[in-house]
Parts: sequence; structure tokens; C-alpha cells
Amino acid sequence: MSTRDLVLAALFAAIIVALGLLPPISLGFIPVPITAQSLGVMMAGVVLGGRRGAIAVLIVLVLVAISLPVLSGGRGGLAVFAAPTAGFLVGWIFAAFVTGYLSERMVNSQQSGLVQTVSFFLAAMIGGIIVLYAFGIAYLATAAGMGFSKAFVGSLAFIPGDVVKAFVAALVGRAVMVGYPQLPVRA
Amino acid sequence: MQSLYVEGNSLMHRLSPRAKLLSLAAFGIVLFIGDNIALLSMAMLLTAVVYRAVGLPLADALGRLRSIFLTIAVVALFNLIFNSWHEALVTLLRLTALMLLAATVTATTTIAEFIDEITALARPLERTGWVQADDIGLAVGLVLRFVPDILGRYQAIREAHTARGLKVRPTTLLAPLIILTLRDADNIAAAIDARGIRRHVS
Repeated sequence: MSTRDLVLAALFAAIIVALGLLPPISLGFIPVPITAQSLGVMMAGVVLGGRRGAIAVLIVLVLVAISLPVLSGGRGGLAVFAAPTAGFLVGWIFAAFVTGYLSERMVNSQQSGLVQTVSFFLAAMIGGIIVLYAFGIAYLATAAGMGFSKAFVGSLAFIPGDVVKAFVAALVGRAVMVGYPQLPVRA
Repeated sequence: MQSLYVEGNSLMHRLSPRAKLLSLAAFGIVLFIGDNIALLSMAMLLTAVVYRAVGLPLADALGRLRSIFLTIAVVALFNLIFNSWHEALVTLLRLTALMLLAATVTATTTIAEFIDEITALARPLERTGWVQADDIGLAVGLVLRFVPDILGRYQAIREAHTARGLKVRPTTLLAPLIILTLRDADNIAAAIDARGIRRHVS
């Protein structure tokens, strides 16, 4: 990995950490403020692509493991991996990777803005929701003993918020694509 | 940023970091194999004693674990309602014991010790070409160095919105924040290479 790629991943990890320290941003059109850290995971994918996006998230999880309170609400340390929701945390790595991989495949700079935004949205939905929830629900169902159907139903409540985040990530991905493209584009 | 390490000289402080991490892993596996409530209760009490011995004031010790314990309690309650009480109790005891021991390891191991262990763990992976073990410490250092800069930029972008009478929206806030931050990457990378910090990169 080139030094530049390592620095880009580390800077994005720093952005994800900073998003956990900021007060939640309210969206205006819905009353619930969004906590921005899982948004940061989707943005890592759409902005940096699969490999570097996944490394950025991995760096955040290393910071958590070495006892820095970098998750939102000042959570950190190995104990967060003992929570029943640890599957969602580990799933972040794969969510960023799949979001980024799909973005690399679907988006290029010749497309119109609408096509780019929709493609980023789909990538963020598949990576940041389907892949992420697969990991989260699998861990809830087995390690926390809830069983798959109940873990699935219990997680449904969080999906609307994540759809909104995928939408915001798509808009941000498109804006960064115009202003300072970093996404490695494939043919 | 303050680490969760706690100064002290308890038994857990004196154990080597590797021994602590290996016993945490072994403890985790044993916890998930057994589902005997008496044994799990004993394990939980034991870990509670070990965690208390770290020397944190009680309020801090509980405050650190409140949000994690809350998610455990919610899942246990869910199990109690929809599955059996046995399942609920096993989940509660198992995850609480694991949480307490993990928090103990966190409170008694310094960041430098953790980074040494992770680097040693990644060393054999260097042959695959996926990772350079020394990059882990470098990446951690970079993040800690740049988080305050990013918070400063966030504040500046907010003020720019206010000065122009614009409403702060996620997209108008996050896109410039990301672009401004990533634009430094070339200079930082050049500075790292100029100092020969990553010697393995030709």
C-alpha cells in the first residue's frame, strides 16, 4: 500500500472519530437527529473505494480495541466487543468494503450527476444496510441467543434511519466526486 | 483524547499484556461453550471482583460500562419475553462476565502495550503482502494527530454558514469537511516519505 493510501485511510478514520465527538446533526425534514458515525462508514466507502474505505474503518476499530473512547457517546475499549451489538461494529469493515467496491464498479466521472447519486445510494444501501445487518443480526441471533427471526424483527426499527444515512452518503459522495475525486474507477 | 487506561499496581496491571489478551480470548470461548447457570454466575462474580480490584472509583467503574450493559439488558429482556428465562439469564451472565473482563484488560493495559501486541500479531501477516506491521502504529498516530484539526475545520465551516446566513445541512457541511481533510493527504504522505518512516516502501 502506498503511503498516500495509508494517509487517506487514516485521515478518513480521523473523520469518523470526529463525527462521533460532534453533536448529532439534525436533518430538517425529519425530526430525529442522526448520529453520524455509521454515516461515516458509508462515506468511507463511497469516497475512498473498497480497500481504503475498509482500512479506514479497521483503523477506527483498532483505536477502539486499544482503549481509546472513539465511538459516539465516548464508548471504547475491548468491552464494546462484548456487547450484543458487536456484530454491527465488526460488520462496519465489510459494509465499507462492499459500499466502496460497488461504488468503484458503478460510478465513473462521465456519468450524469443523477446517475452517480443513484449509484452511490444503491451501493450505500447494499453495503451499509444489507451487508451490515447480515453481520449484526447473525451475531445477535447466535451469540446473544435471540434466534434469527427475532433478531431480524428487533433490528428493523433502525433501518429507516440508515436509509436516510445512505441517502446523505450518496449526496456527499457525489459532491466529493465533483470537488476532489478519490474513488479509484474501474472500467 | 484520554485513554481508558487506569494507573495502578493490581495483579492485572502486573500481568503481561499478552497473557491478559490470551486469557480474555480463552475466557470468551469457555463462556460461550458452557450454559450452566451456577458456573456462569461464579464467572460473573469473579470478573466483577477482578474489575473492582483495578482501583477505579465505583462511580467511574460503573459509568464506563453503563451503555454497554444497557444493550445487554435490553437483549436479555427481549429473550425473557420471547424465549425462555433460562436463555435470558445465560445471555445476561455470559455477556456481563465477558464485558467485565474486557473492561479490566482495557483499564490495565497501556496504549503502547496494545500497539506492541497488535504489531507482533500482524508481523507474520507481512509475508502475505497485505499489511506492514509497523504501519499500524503509524496509522494510529496519524488519527490522533488529525482529529483536533478536523474538529477545528468543522467549526470553521459552521461559522462560514452562519456568516452567510445559510442553514447548516449535512451535505453542505460534510462534503467540504471531507475535501478539505483529504486534500492534505499528498503533503502528509510526502512528509512521511521524506523522513523515511516507512523504510520498507521502496
